Amino acid sequence: MKPCIALTKGRLEKQFLDFFASLSFDIDPLVNKGRKLRVETDDFQFIFAKGPDVTTYVEHGIADLGIVGGDILAEFQPDVYDLFPLPFGQCHMAVATEAGKVWPDQKKKIASKYTGITKEFFRNKGESVEIIKLEGSVELAPILGLADGIVDIVETGTTLKENGLVVQEEFLYFSARCIANRSSLKIKRKQLAPIIEALQQEGALR
Amino acid sequence: MFLPAGSQDQIGQKLDNQAKVNQIFRKVVRNRNFKAIETPVIEYANTFTNEHVGMELRTMLKWFNREGEIEVLRPDWTTAIARALVKQHPAQLKWFYQGSVFRNDKDGTESRQAGIEIIRTDVFLGELESLFTAVTYLKALNSDDYLIELGHTGIFEALLETLELADSEEETLRQAMYDKRKDLVYQIASKTGQEKIAEQLTTLINAYGGKEILTEYRELWSNQPQLVEILDHLNKLIDAMEALGVENVIVDLGKVKELPYYSGTMFRGYLQQNGQTCFSGGCYDKLYEQFNENISAVGLAFDVDVLAESMNATEQKERICILATEETHVQAEQLREDFEDKIVDIQYQLPDNHHYDRIIPVEDATKEKAVDK
Repeated sequence: MKPCIALTKGRLEKQFLDFFASLSFDIDPLVNKGRKLRVETDDFQFIFAKGPDVTTYVEHGIADLGIVGGDILAEFQPDVYDLFPLPFGQCHMAVATEAGKVWPDQKKKIASKYTGITKEFFRNKGESVEIIKLEGSVELAPILGLADGIVDIVETGTTLKENGLVVQEEFLYFSARCIANRSSLKIKRKQLAPIIEALQQEGALR
Repeated sequence: MFLPAGSQDQIGQKLDNQAKVNQIFRKVVRNRNFKAIETPVIEYANTFTNEHVGMELRTMLKWFNREGEIEVLRPDWTTAIARALVKQHPAQLKWFYQGSVFRNDKDGTESRQAGIEIIRTDVFLGELESLFTAVTYLKALNSDDYLIELGHTGIFEALLETLELADSEEETLRQAMYDKRKDLVYQIASKTGQEKIAEQLTTLINAYGGKEILTEYRELWSNQPQLVEILDHLNKLIDAMEALGVENVIVDLGKVKELPYYSGTMFRGYLQQNGQTCFSGGCYDKLYEQFNENISAVGLAFDVDVLAESMNATEQKERICILATEETHVQAEQLREDFEDKIVDIQYQLPDNHHYDRIIPVEDATKEKAVDK
């Protein structure tokens, strides 16, 4: 059976395909896939899923390898080999508030999609906060008074700026990463070695 | 009614397979002079969470007892057995167990295991006996499509020692190594200024594959006798297995211990068809140090659920229906002996959508029997 690679749909997908093409892999079937979520090429089988689901498919061995954001790995901590970073999808986490916001005296309320990362960050600081889980458009929360601040992923900072939020603190720097199922890496070593080698650029580790 | 996440009912074929997996295991290990042991399902949490064992409380199913102490459902056999064996007569060296372990961080809360423990035995003898038992058992299950992986805690630990990291950083590095996370391993190790060790650890991540890896690293580490000794030890195990006809052995020199009590060789068996781990184990002399005992210990545990799932459907026996009436029921019951080793059902009326291979009215069978006589 061909090795199965799970790709994160959306933003990372395009960046991965550009990168994959730059390594002289044929990406035509992947670009012209229409709405198909499963595409077979001459050498691989690709599946397209949301980031957290990519980790699930890899953890359960449905996919042998996965391309996923480091933020997703930090948040969900799947039981997979977290092999190496890829040269795209750079971003970082940030605490942001409305400009001029004065933190309240009592426990802060922080809205975030990344409740695990948020909890860990404030725990390491030794500060208790109330975390409110949101699914998206987290920037709304401080503006509408749901929370005092947010913890979110920042790429360019444009969304924050346009919504009148300013970064108070940056932490955890991520990029896209290549992950592998713990058994597949061993059992399908010969089949996976060429693609792992190709994806992994010397020097990217340093 | 709804079941809690992770709990499930077991039905039919799955149970038959489990029973068969357990039954064959018992036969194989009894023939190799292992003695049965069973520890209770409920123990104190501290047995598993103390510094010598180091399992995490959050992964256990637990509650407070009336005295306010935390009790748990057995999360691990090896630790419980070590506790029990310290009190046993030292002459018995080989033990086996069968039963469930409970964890709340896995897909299923309950998983069934069957395993062996060998104590107070020469390390090589114990390791080889464990591996040969695994090979014999898998053969008895007609499961020949597997891979055995060997690793050794000593390699990473030796390199780690030279880095002189703080405890918390050591743990982060060990986790990064466990995750084969190259960039982080390099980052942590190189921070100490020991570029060479950082390089070595990073390369070690890729040191998995066939026996040739051992030869390659033997050359690479030729001036590190401590590491060469480990490689030779693993090589000896592989040679012995090959001599027995077991070819499918791989190594992962970058493997790190998953629990603090592991020390020495580590084993893992993978089923090739689905990549699932069918057994794992290794050496854990350190486990007995908590009882101030200097005892060598080695063992491995099979995952009964994985093995049962991988078994082919058990051979189907012929299903026979004897059609009887209230009056002829006893007669029908007496006919059972003529159909030894077949599935025989007595019915008064043939059910709709039945799955019988043969339907015999009681009168016909009785007549036949009379003619035979």
